[in-house]
Amino acid sequence: MYVDDIMEVLKGHFGDDKEFTPNTHFLDHLDGDEIDIVDVVVQISKKLDINIPEEDTFDIGTVGELINVVGKHVNV
Amino acid sequence: MFNSLKLALILVIISAAGGGFLYVKALQKDLDTAKGNIIKLEDAVGEQKAVIAQQASDFEDIIQIRNNLEDTNRMLETANRNLNEKFNKLNASGERRDIGALSTSRPKSIERILNKDEVNERRCFEIIQGAELTEEEINATKKSKINTVCPELANPNYVTY
Repeated sequence: MYVDDIMEVLKGHFGDDKEFTPNTHFLDHLDGDEIDIVDVVVQISKKLDINIPEEDTFDIGTVGELINVVGKHVNV
Repeated sequence: MFNSLKLALILVIISAAGGGFLYVKALQKDLDTAKGNIIKLEDAVGEQKAVIAQQASDFEDIIQIRNNLEDTNRMLETANRNLNEKFNKLNASGERRDIGALSTSRPKSIERILNKDEVNERRCFEIIQGAELTEEEINATKKSKINTVCPELANPNYVTY
């Protein structure tokens, strides 16, 4: 299940003590920055061996939005 | 005898009157000179007051410029810290961010982020130079809404995570 892979990447990146819900915001709740989002997208792309176009990731702000974007490309 | 004495007395009186007249004339001349000097001094005092006022104004300008420079320095220090963190941040697994690799694999994303930082930096300079904060800037309390280059200037209600 790709969501588990995403969670694994997020925990590795932000810490497994953090809470990750669909509404968790990378900047507001995880004290991340926009490059963190790019970084986790790259890690997830490698882990799932998928190609996510950059344009699809520009508006990602929350964990839920990340899962949705990744889901579109996993299911193709 | 009496007439000679009288004549002498008249001569003394005339001499005294003449001397008095000349003395008064000299006093009047001195007074005119003094009045002229007073007018010159008043002009000089007026000029000095104008110079002092200009110096006070210049001093305020210097203080303002110094404050602006201090704000600029603080902002640049923050920007430098942020850039340093952007380029060298460690993730929870202890891996250092490789901005070069990310720029190669996701160039548009990194370019967008850097462009946004540039816009934020310009806004910081505007604020330092006296631009008023917008409602959005004043009300921003979340990291996703702030100016990350100079939050201490642009977002007074933001409390660091």
